[in-house]
Amino acid sequence: MSTASRPRFTMDVLEWHPWLETVDDVGATSEQAELVGKVAPSPGSRSYYALLAHDVPTLRERTGLFNAIMYGPGGARRSDRELAAVAASLVNGCVYCTSVHARRYAQLTKDTETTKRLLDDGVETGLAERERAIVDYAVKLTRDPAALSPADVEPLRRAGLSAPEILDVTQAAAMFAWANRLMQTLGEGVRPDGVPS
Amino acid sequence: MVSTQNQSTAERDGGDDAISDLAGIEPGSPQARLRDERPDAVRFAQGSYSALLEPEDPAGVSRRERELVALRVGILTCAPGVAARHRARLRALGGTDAELAAVERFQDGLSGLSPRETAMLRHTDLLTLQPGASRPEHIAALKAAGLTPRDIVTVSQLIAFMSYEVRILAGLRVLSEEPA
Repeated sequence: MSTASRPRFTMDVLEWHPWLETVDDVGATSEQAELVGKVAPSPGSRSYYALLAHDVPTLRERTGLFNAIMYGPGGARRSDRELAAVAASLVNGCVYCTSVHARRYAQLTKDTETTKRLLDDGVETGLAERERAIVDYAVKLTRDPAALSPADVEPLRRAGLSAPEILDVTQAAAMFAWANRLMQTLGEGVRPDGVPS
Repeated sequence: MVSTQNQSTAERDGGDDAISDLAGIEPGSPQARLRDERPDAVRFAQGSYSALLEPEDPAGVSRRERELVALRVGILTCAPGVAARHRARLRALGGTDAELAAVERFQDGLSGLSPRETAMLRHTDLLTLQPGASRPEHIAALKAAGLTPRDIVTVSQLIAFMSYEVRILAGLRVLSEEPA
């Protein structure tokens, strides 16, 4: 139906609603309940983590990886990583991931205007050199990793990013290849008033 | 930590590192040193690989089924090294030429795989190529093929992890191909 058209992205706070039973629905073990309590960052995303808690070892490792990539010390700025996350989420059409990480990007950069344009106009919207390089690289990696070539790294180098920083941006975009696929295919973002986003 | 700075994380932990193997990273090379700057990412990526492809308790999704899915992602994303790895692992678990060919050329109704395997591979194609087209009906199809909610979470995590892995490998590849 509307799956082919571009989704309407928002910076509003959404809830995530699962399409199948979470461990809360079927009776969580104490191990599952403890893990969900530890890793769920907000009440609106609790059901996402309560769903992933069906597979405890995977959720543990994935959470460690996510935190290392998005919040680990040194290297690319936190805002660079959030920008790569937003670019990947826009390309994949993940409304929920985009809403969360666009808010974080806007908070970190204090640039709500650019963030809103990315959501409204898409990844082609006008950006400064560093942001342009990060978005273009993340978009290419999201769409067609096999086609990635050294020429795709050149703009990042010209914008002054080091190899570890480029690895950080790669990791953030790749992490959202993972996160988007879970968020988009196991449930959906919903406005708190209950209207599907 | 300082005394082990020049060792790869895999050597430090005495464990395997699938991404390093797949990327063909030699110990002591610039690529190895680059990855060593992000030890937590290396450690948890390998932990994710182990949890999904070498689980202590495979629960409802067999190792064979996991290899079928991983192989399919390698094929769909044009990642020959990834596909070769899972082809070999599937063979080691008793996979036949006919089964391997069915995964390579998977198409609804023409697969020669079980209905459960067919449903998993159909979902693999959807999540890998068009995640945004997913609807609740796709979850219902997996349930109708006998997958439990836990099985569905595990298969989804595996497909999504593989999507991560092929992109990390692409990034490491272009960084190694950059002109000096």
